[in-house]
Amino acid sequence: MKTLPTLRDKKRYMAFEVMSEQVISRAELSHEIFASACSLFGDAGCSDINSNLLSYDGKYGIVRCTKGKNNEIRAALACITKVRGTRISILALGISGTIKGAMEKFIQQTLINKSEPDKEDKQ
Amino acid sequence: MALFDGKFYDLYTHPAPGDRESVALMAAVAKKYGYSGIAVTNLTENDLDMADKSGNFSIFPAFEIPNKRAKLRDEIKKRKEDASILIVKGTDEYLTREAAETEGLDILLQPRKFNNVLAKIASDNSVTLGFNIGSIIHMRGEARVRELVLMKANLKHARKYDMRMILTGDPHSHYDLRSPREMAAISGLIGMTEKEAFDAMSTTPLGILKRKSPDYVQEGIEII
Repeated sequence: MKTLPTLRDKKRYMAFEVMSEQVISRAELSHEIFASACSLFGDAGCSDINSNLLSYDGKYGIVRCTKGKNNEIRAALACITKVRGTRISILALGISGTIKGAMEKFIQQTLINKSEPDKEDKQ
Repeated sequence: MALFDGKFYDLYTHPAPGDRESVALMAAVAKKYGYSGIAVTNLTENDLDMADKSGNFSIFPAFEIPNKRAKLRDEIKKRKEDASILIVKGTDEYLTREAAETEGLDILLQPRKFNNVLAKIASDNSVTLGFNIGSIIHMRGEARVRELVLMKANLKHARKYDMRMILTGDPHSHYDLRSPREMAAISGLIGMTEKEAFDAMSTTPLGILKRKSPDYVQEGIEII
């Protein structure tokens, strides 16, 4: 049975960019984010953050967290250094209240800026 | 957040010495992450030449003083007037004491067995206290817990004696770099406020760089 809308936790969606030596699979990244959060905040803290990897295409992705836990999820992502022996660094692009917002504001905007580097420099 | 629109610096980075590509790559990634400059330890002349060409991003020289008990004071005194930022890693109590008591040192990084007496001396000698966020990023389990405990204790001393603080990621490659917001988020784990983290990555490094610039005479004196 679904949770009543009034009883649902408010969520935030963080867009991130992955820089790695080799392409990391979705399952590996999801497992690593969970392991990093658990190692840093413990099981109880991790349950408060309630993180979940929603989308990931090999470079950009969106991770969900509870409202007010932005810094915690940011710290957990920053503490990821290696996945399957491959060095990796995750840069949080921004946080939004909706998946659409995170996608449009941060991921698509980053891609547009990358395709038009001259314009970005002029601004 | 307007707080994170300023200029940020990481004053303790180590790309592969003498490897121009490694320095250039780290500079490019740091620029992308929102840094305005980095200080590189054991920088060669070639690397500095390259730094001038990279536009609005600066590379500064830093010197990590070797952890040799007998030579620490002499080394600091000898290099006091240099343009390099002087850094000592406080790996034991003796080194921490020597470093805190010697005037002219810029950064005392992650001192162990730091106490109120040493904090007061370091504060009087205008030594900046460094927090190595890289150790939290790379360690796991018990080692990380001990590091967090150490940093929390250091933060208490720094607050009590109004010491200036800096945050560094201690990166050895561009994969180890983290953006200023992420550094602030991790520093939140040891109880640092956002304002303190901002000052530790922007205001304090700018002060150190100003002090190391050739135009600087003395605190409060300016050439017109």
